[in-house]
Amino acid sequence: MEMFSKILTLTAEHLALAYGSLAISILAGIALAVASLYNRKLAVVIITLANLVEAIPSFAVVALVVPLMGIGFRPAIVAILFRALLPIIKNTYIGLKNVDAAYLEAAKGIGLTNFQILKVIRFPHAYPPMFAGIKFAAILTNGIAVLTAIIGSGGLGKLVFEGLASFNVKKIIYGIIPVMLISLATEVILTLAEKKITPAALRKQA
Amino acid sequence: MLSEIFQLWDMHKLGLRTLEHLSMFGLAMIFSIFLGIGIGIVLYTNKKISNTVFNILNLIQVIPTLALLVLLLPLLGLGKLPTVVACILYSVLPIARNTYSGLANIGKDYIETGKAVGLSGKDILIKIRIPLALPLIAGGIRIAVVFTIGVITLGGLIAAGGLGAPLQTGIHLYDKPLILFTGIWVGLIALIFDGIGALGEKLLKKRYHYGNV
Repeated sequence: MEMFSKILTLTAEHLALAYGSLAISILAGIALAVASLYNRKLAVVIITLANLVEAIPSFAVVALVVPLMGIGFRPAIVAILFRALLPIIKNTYIGLKNVDAAYLEAAKGIGLTNFQILKVIRFPHAYPPMFAGIKFAAILTNGIAVLTAIIGSGGLGKLVFEGLASFNVKKIIYGIIPVMLISLATEVILTLAEKKITPAALRKQA
Repeated sequence: MLSEIFQLWDMHKLGLRTLEHLSMFGLAMIFSIFLGIGIGIVLYTNKKISNTVFNILNLIQVIPTLALLVLLLPLLGLGKLPTVVACILYSVLPIARNTYSGLANIGKDYIETGKAVGLSGKDILIKIRIPLALPLIAGGIRIAVVFTIGVITLGGLIAAGGLGAPLQTGIHLYDKPLILFTGIWVGLIALIFDGIGALGEKLLKKRYHYGNV
């Protein structure tokens, strides 16, 4: 029973850590993707950086935050943001950019403003890669939020590392199972959300 | 500066750690490439089961890396074996998926031409579909390379050695130079291998990419 309440507390911590960062990443990522759409230089910098960061192991990112920011909750958030932000920006940007020119011309032809084109044409067409990026980022975030327990962020990873230190397999499993369930739930929720917000006319393609 | 790095390198046996890292990397890549391409081809010739198998592989992909690694502990114990197995489990999906979609999305003209000159289904697979799918397969392998380097780093946490071990030591001892140097070194290795993968993909595209796929 005591274990159960501990798991609940740590799950809440994990959710705050992982999904707080993910929410920031999504908002900032979409904003930056839109900005890169209108600024080629920013786009080049972001895509290059995203490709670089995608190759670097999460554990290295987590470790590299330590000399720069110390340990605790805040450095953990920075590590997660750094890792999650770039795939979201990259995928959203690619989605927004690769809209069939015919649609854009047609939209201009009927007199839509740039903002309207972004809202009703570019975004709906960009949903599939955008959601793929967000899903990827969500899984990464979940994984890194476990890892950051090694630098004192708390959360479910704490149980895992306590278990690893004492070879207590039960403890490790107690820590891991909620993480997996959260991961699966996120995947399902994001898939449903994507279906829901995609306009009916575009659903078949996706 | 340079002498400090040499001292770090010696003290934490980073040369040995790098070799450990690369040997696990090589082993995992060999298995996942054969397995991934094999599964991709089998599923392509067996479309009925492909959805089910891909769903199972997708499910594995959703599990966070450390979680998968740790779940293998009760089955395989500590050390190198669970690390390599986790790498393979993660890497098979991108390779299999890319192989499958590479084989499936060949321009109709090529297939028609193949049929017209009298190639059998098997010949078309071997002489047309597989060569044309190579750039996409290489793309999948590149994703797997990145995953594998990452999972091996985590292996340091379950006593597999490799470059994750000095990172972990650094974090525990709050040894900033060790963390910085090892972190950058791991990042560099990952980038080098990703770069090699990119180069291979590019060469194959140049050789086999005829405008569709």
